[in-house]
Amino acid sequence: MGRNIIINIITTICLILVQVLICNHIMLFNIAMAFVFIYVLISLPMNLKTNYLLTWAFLAGFIVDIFSDTPGVNALACTLLAISKKPILFAYIPRDDRTKNIEPTLSSLGFGVYGKYLFTMVAIYCFLVFTIEYFNFADIKEIVVLTAASTVFTFVVLLGIDSLIVKK
Amino acid sequence: MRNLLNFILRYSTWFVFTFYVVVSVLLLVTNSRYQQSVYLTSANAVTGGLYDTSSKVTGYFNLHQINESLQESNAALQNEVLNLKNKIAEYEVLLADTLMPSRYSERFGYVSAAVINNNTRHPRNYFTINKGALDGVRPGMGIADQNGVVGIVNVVGDHMARAISLLNETQHFSVKIKDTSFVGSLSWKGGDASIAYMEEVPRHVEYKIGDTIVTSGFSTAFPEGIPVGFILNRVKSSDDSFFTFKIRLSSDFKSLSTVRVIRDIYKQEVDSLAEFDITK
Repeated sequence: MGRNIIINIITTICLILVQVLICNHIMLFNIAMAFVFIYVLISLPMNLKTNYLLTWAFLAGFIVDIFSDTPGVNALACTLLAISKKPILFAYIPRDDRTKNIEPTLSSLGFGVYGKYLFTMVAIYCFLVFTIEYFNFADIKEIVVLTAASTVFTFVVLLGIDSLIVKK
Repeated sequence: MRNLLNFILRYSTWFVFTFYVVVSVLLLVTNSRYQQSVYLTSANAVTGGLYDTSSKVTGYFNLHQINESLQESNAALQNEVLNLKNKIAEYEVLLADTLMPSRYSERFGYVSAAVINNNTRHPRNYFTINKGALDGVRPGMGIADQNGVVGIVNVVGDHMARAISLLNETQHFSVKIKDTSFVGSLSWKGGDASIAYMEEVPRHVEYKIGDTIVTSGFSTAFPEGIPVGFILNRVKSSDDSFFTFKIRLSSDFKSLSTVRVIRDIYKQEVDSLAEFDITK
């Protein structure tokens, strides 16, 4: 357990660095962003207390916000994503003794369930981030386009990261 | 008391959740001095240091392009120097017995700085430079690169400063059409990083497509005549009594590298006069 926490903290720090130094400056076709740092939030084990998960999410979002000069945007989106993590996963798989401590990754869930879960989480996050940032119904078309494109881009990148991080 | 504790413990998740949401929303909406404090921006020591290190690597990427535009502006300046020299020689006789406002030319000074972090994708963009209060940078100073206006200093740390980019929907710049006195307000509307709009131009304006837009010199941030862009066309205005122009910006915001922070030695004096006017 202790070892897992350290691994997760190191992964979080690495992904936040990748986010602020590289991904924040990449915008594919001028519409698609990749949010890689939410990977840890998505893959943290389900038996982690929700309070810790929320704290983790808020701090990660807050640090990314400071780096990208968007105070509150990612912090709020991360907190909202963290609170909806459990309901989303258990909407796709039944909640029983076998699944309640599961670590949601590609190898533990299989592509069908993990794909649906990951896509839902990413879509919600992208929608939240762009809605919070623009916060204007006049920009609704822009928000939809950015959300759709960024969801697909982030989904693909996170699948890649998931297969890169080998879980023992 | 025990009941209260039990209640709090049982619903602790919702308390924690509400707390984080409230903190984030406060960060989002309030424009307090906490939000403007240097620790919450990319100009603080940790983020600034990290961006400084990474820009030492990425700073090389656009050198070729930047070199080219520097060469161009250098050639234009040399040309101008030659022209001015000729003019001075012509007027030499007159100069001898004319009283010159000699200090005026020294009104604006420059601090050269490197952009270490830059964004163009948000509705409100900021960038970070590697000079701070110890180098003489203060909030409200204008920033230009070799092509033209890029932003205004906003939050200053000891060694870093964060600037509001021209690509920020909340920031307006006072500009005019070059060699005329038709003044307007320049603002960016999101989307394309090379297009901005010049609003509130009087209807009797005389203009041609392609006319250069420069700073008006009405604020202490920029001296008069720093290029901003040129007129692409006239677009439909929200207010019928004014014209709105679509402007192509002359700076390339996707590859900002070296910029100059503009220091006005009369800034305090001008600002205090403006304040005096308001309070009266």
